[in-house]
Amino acid sequence: MKKKLIFISSLFSVCMMSFAFTTIQQPKPWPVPEKNAKMANPVKSDAASLASAKSLWNLHCASCHGKKGLGDGSKAAQLKTTPQDMTLASFQSQSDGSLYYKIAEGRDDMPSFKKKIPDAEDIWSLVNYVRTLKK
Amino acid sequence: MKQKIKITNCLYILPVCLVGCMFLLQTTTLYAQDSTAVVKTAPVKAKPVKNTFDGTWLIDDQSVMVPVKGSFEFDIMHRFGTFGNGYQDLDGVFAPANIRLGVNYSPINNLFIGIGLSKTDMLWDGNAKYAIFKQTPGKSPVSVTYYGDMSYDTRFDPDHSLFTYTTDRIGSFNEIIIARKFSDKFSFQVAPTLSHQNAVAGYYTKNDSTGTTVFEQMKHDQFGLNMAGRFKLTETTSIIVDYDQPLTAEPTNNPKPNVALGFEFTTSGHTFQVFMGNYQMLNPEKNSFFNQNSPFPYTDANGTKVKGGMFCIGFNITRLWNF
Repeated sequence: MKKKLIFISSLFSVCMMSFAFTTIQQPKPWPVPEKNAKMANPVKSDAASLASAKSLWNLHCASCHGKKGLGDGSKAAQLKTTPQDMTLASFQSQSDGSLYYKIAEGRDDMPSFKKKIPDAEDIWSLVNYVRTLKK
Repeated sequence: MKQKIKITNCLYILPVCLVGCMFLLQTTTLYAQDSTAVVKTAPVKAKPVKNTFDGTWLIDDQSVMVPVKGSFEFDIMHRFGTFGNGYQDLDGVFAPANIRLGVNYSPINNLFIGIGLSKTDMLWDGNAKYAIFKQTPGKSPVSVTYYGDMSYDTRFDPDHSLFTYTTDRIGSFNEIIIARKFSDKFSFQVAPTLSHQNAVAGYYTKNDSTGTTVFEQMKHDQFGLNMAGRFKLTETTSIIVDYDQPLTAEPTNNPKPNVALGFEFTTSGHTFQVFMGNYQMLNPEKNSFFNQNSPFPYTDANGTKVKGGMFCIGFNITRLWNF
């Protein structure tokens, strides 16, 4: 009985320790100016827009965000900021303007793409592509 | 048989339904945020075709591409020795190699200027590339870019055994690159080229029964034709080919063509090309004049049959920053 008690208490301690060292990384708030957040997407989400955006996605985004936007790209583990799962409703609830702003301006590990992708329509197309990742 | 429903079970079901409804409402609220945006569609305007090629280089030659204003590029180019010695030097991989380090910057749109230094001949080069016009649906079926390069041989020559005059160290290269992106996967370019060397092999005197004759071993100008293409296997991996054909027949030391084939891997900021080809010098005018690595078998001026297949492995790495 005593051994059983020691075993159960040890197991409980290990469980508690594992919880103690588990940190759930909450996404850091990323405020977007209201003017930018309300910007409408001028690019229609058609086949041409999505095809060009898919190409840009694979070139610039997939290495961190993963092929399907799950945040599981090959570089993701090395980042200080864990890329968010773009398939989730909580991510997709952002406005097109917010997504555009974040892609264009960047922050921390996320680089700014307004110079690397100089055509604004290409960034809007990427926003269209991000919408297709929604589950 | 009539199903019995216990009232106690309902007590468990109700909270579950309630939580479910709240979750649905929350989800609905989240999706509703975009509704404030006013839907507008941009007028359709023909724009230049993008990414005819992924990088500024196509193995040994320039591609038609000119990076956008504010782009800074660092190039590392490497050519191993030629095949032929087998295990002795791992078919050229452990043989003396040639290396070029270069930087380029785009101060305004459509212009890319740069300098570089190659190990062979300690050759400095300055270059400029200008996109004259770009392939645009309904406007232009091709993109046309000018590329010019000037090189300066900085080998140590205190007794002037290599160069009589300082200007002998200078060479230049000019080309007009005409390219078309045929599809998202396939692009191709053609470029007529003109290379110039201020000093070539010089003259020699032939003494025979006819008397003394002065020959020019090589001409100072060399016309050529470059053809290069890309076929994308995936969004980031392509097969690339490059072919250079010298057109001017030289009296001696006729330069040999270049056949190169390789792979290109592209990331957001890097382009990595690995290939095999015949050009080992890392300067277009030097290659146009002095390449003696032939891909094909040939018979030289003395009637000797020479085996071809003189390839070397090489790679180009470019890193692009946008300022």
